[in-house]
Amino acid sequence: MHFLLPIFKWADTSWMGETIRASRFYFPIIETFHLLALTLLFGAILMLNLRLCGLMMKNLPVQQVAKDLSPWLLWSLAIILVSGLMLFSSEAMKCYASVPFQVKMVFLFTAIAFHFTIYRSVTKSEREPRRWFGVIVAVVSVVLWLGVGLGGRGIGFL
Amino acid sequence: MQQVPAIIQWMQNSDIGTGIRESVWTFPLVETTHVLALAISVGVLIWFDLRLLGWGMKHQPISQIHRQIMPYAVFGFIVMFVTGVLLFWSEAEKCYLSGFFRAKVLFLFLAAINAIIFEFKTKKTIEQWDKYPIPPVKARLAGWMSIISWAAVIIAGRATAYNLF
Repeated sequence: MHFLLPIFKWADTSWMGETIRASRFYFPIIETFHLLALTLLFGAILMLNLRLCGLMMKNLPVQQVAKDLSPWLLWSLAIILVSGLMLFSSEAMKCYASVPFQVKMVFLFTAIAFHFTIYRSVTKSEREPRRWFGVIVAVVSVVLWLGVGLGGRGIGFL
Repeated sequence: MQQVPAIIQWMQNSDIGTGIRESVWTFPLVETTHVLALAISVGVLIWFDLRLLGWGMKHQPISQIHRQIMPYAVFGFIVMFVTGVLLFWSEAEKCYLSGFFRAKVLFLFLAAINAIIFEFKTKKTIEQWDKYPIPPVKARLAGWMSIISWAAVIIAGRATAYNLF
């Protein structure tokens, strides 16, 4: 037995999971919010990454662009995580057996860790990052978030 | 089964439609590309809309954001449109009969009309309000229309797959 299995079982039998499962409307509605917030988050990440690559808004410092986008980014991430947890609790045992879900979680935790460490320090720094470093950071960020999206879409298919 | 027009029936039964529908990998791949292209296209377009509302990117002139964002939004839109047509092709009967899909097409038209009005009419006076933190009502209205119609497209699109009603 995997050491994480109890967490999946707990989520599966939780009040939230059972409530969401009980209606055929809750899941699609929550998933829609998940998807709308995802669009917003991905857009914000993409804009900031394009700036890091020097492809957009070059007249503004990276720091300024990051500051403008930051509240939107954090709020959409919060909505995604909350709605994601709700969706997860309603089909936790399906997720437990799902390879795309595992892939998604690996990408998600890596993306969040990367975002709030290296990415944050680069985009919050007073000093403009070197061009090549900005490009590398942007590419890593996009690949990680795309991985989350691909894995997420895969859960529904496989 | 309700009656559908001959063209819809033809699409549903064509090699392309059947091929995508019954494939193991093609449908999920096309669908995934559709969703990712959506996140790119609508994801950046929303930032232009938020700028129009005066809610985000206030330090940047509107015309500049417009010029810088549009290539990505248009690229994403083209990918989204092509994959969308393929998805429709493979489930033509289901989509045609779905109330959600019809709503989606309606909101797509709304988004298009809004964009056309902005590009050919509202934008004419952009010189005057380009640098305003909060642009005039007609520009804000265009931003709202875009956000609402695209959100509705996404909502109705997601609901099409569930076939709740």
